[in-house]
Amino acid sequence: MGVQNKGLALLKENKIEDDDNVDFDEEVSESESGSEFESESEEEEDEDVKLAEPSKNAIYNTDGILDKLGDISWPENVGWIHKLSIDIDQEQQVDVNDDLARELAFYNQALEGTKKAFEKLQSMGLPFLRPADYYAEMVKTDSHMEKVKGRLLAEKRKIEEAEERRKARESKKLAKEIQAQKQKERNKQKKEEIESVKKWRKQRQQSGFAGGDKDGEMDFSFEDGKSFERSNKKRPGVAPGDRSGGKTRQVGKGKKPQKRNFRDSKFGFGGKKALKKQNTAETTNEFRDFNKGHASGNKKRKR
Amino acid sequence: MGKKRKHSETVAVASVKKDDDDAAASERPQRTLLGWKDKKNGAQETETKTTTTTTTTAGFRNKEKVLVTCSRRINFRYRHLMLNVVSLLPHCKKDNKVESKESKGATLNELVELKSCSSCLFFECRKHKDLYLWMAKCPNGPSVKFLVNAVHTMEELKLTGNHLKGSRPLLTFSSNFDSNAHWKLLKEMIIQIFGIPKEHRKSKPYHDHVFVFSIVDDHIWFRNYQISVPHNESDKIARGGLDNMTLVEVGPRFCLNPIKIFGGSFGGPTLYENPFYISPNQIRALEKRKKAGKYAKKVKAKTRRKMHELENPLEPDEFADMWKE
Repeated sequence: MGVQNKGLALLKENKIEDDDNVDFDEEVSESESGSEFESESEEEEDEDVKLAEPSKNAIYNTDGILDKLGDISWPENVGWIHKLSIDIDQEQQVDVNDDLARELAFYNQALEGTKKAFEKLQSMGLPFLRPADYYAEMVKTDSHMEKVKGRLLAEKRKIEEAEERRKARESKKLAKEIQAQKQKERNKQKKEEIESVKKWRKQRQQSGFAGGDKDGEMDFSFEDGKSFERSNKKRPGVAPGDRSGGKTRQVGKGKKPQKRNFRDSKFGFGGKKALKKQNTAETTNEFRDFNKGHASGNKKRKR
Repeated sequence: MGKKRKHSETVAVASVKKDDDDAAASERPQRTLLGWKDKKNGAQETETKTTTTTTTTAGFRNKEKVLVTCSRRINFRYRHLMLNVVSLLPHCKKDNKVESKESKGATLNELVELKSCSSCLFFECRKHKDLYLWMAKCPNGPSVKFLVNAVHTMEELKLTGNHLKGSRPLLTFSSNFDSNAHWKLLKEMIIQIFGIPKEHRKSKPYHDHVFVFSIVDDHIWFRNYQISVPHNESDKIARGGLDNMTLVEVGPRFCLNPIKIFGGSFGGPTLYENPFYISPNQIRALEKRKKAGKYAKKVKAKTRRKMHELENPLEPDEFADMWKE
């Protein structure tokens, strides 16, 4: 429908724009000059189009219609119980294209009608509500209702799952935030502590207890921070990162075995293999090994 | 059932015979289930009955019977819609598909008469796309042709309600049915065709669904809802039950666009013609034509451009070959 609408709009635009085209557009626009597409929504098969203005030659024989109505209608005084019809006022004009509003209007009509009818029926004193123990054939079979139920359950499950996923996502986000907050707090605390220690030291220095140990203020050897640093003394034969106290060397870390060395040189050790395996200018120009194994090269090949 | 009918037949035959034989025999009181019917008593009974019924109508009985049928080559969707309607109306008779050529004229009338029905719903499908619904009162009543739109059948899983098969529906109409003569006529026809006769033998006693007929945008929209009300007794709603009433849609849904009303059944003088109606064929043709115009327009534009260029040739540029030394 939307496409039609748009199409028509386009057409009209065209007509306005190019005046040279009139002769062509005429025949198209003539046939639909008055026609206004009214989208009817709902689904694809709704091809509901109306003429914008009523056609002049439409027949409307009111007398004939009323005559027929008189012919077919039941006697005036037929009881309501035979008809069961209820008229309901539509409060306001319903927009056809708004599916929700339209359905709501129908629902309200049904609801109001039912209320009125039930009041009437109740006043008549007739049984009109199905007792719980009255079983009979229904319009939809049990198997069909099973399907309906299955669908409803599936839908519910889908919604629940989506909800769960959403919650998990949110909690993850929240956890991240909390973690960041904690980290920040920790950093802040650390900073504060350091600050406070510095402050305290300054105070102590100012108050003149530089080397003092009488006031119960001990001179911590680590306070100058030196004990945390590695001593600069170099021990001979011990690797800088060695924490074993230089013992590993004695165990015999010595040299690589001869064989290993040879093999490393032959096959390569460490580094990128790809570069070593590539040809270089040298190797490409070298024919030293080229035809060497002609006789012995392919042993399986029969002459 | 069969037994009963046989019995009545024999009685009829016997009575005819007796009439032939002698008048005295016919004087014999009729037999009832509980014994011989006392003539005097019976008379009294009928009298009391009439006195009670005179308050409404003396002996009005709705004997509506609806023939429901469709044309050949109907779409499955529309066929299902028809079957849904059949399942909603216990007072209907479903018949075989009718050859679409036959549908014009008297064959349908004959068929309806053959089935001893008083009205007819005929689903006519054309081009596997468009569904037309004929609603006719049969021997000599009016008939209406509708275009059916927005069809949803009961099989759709979105429609979750359910109700007793054959319980009498409440019919609700929007108030604009009384605005015009043709709507009034349609309302009367709908009441007669879609209302299930009281005490119809296939109908069930309680009311647990409601039909909605509403005119919106000059179309009749149909909905069917199940009524669910909290209650303990069958003739009284629990206190506050009316406020707690909810409706669940059962289906089917459709929308009727009246095209024409005829004086006779399936024919006769036209009483009403929808002035706004365009047939779906026309719509499709229009769409097609619009598409067809695309190429012609392009060609036109091209030629126009060419003409324009010829009319206003470019002035020779004095600097054109400045760099071509």
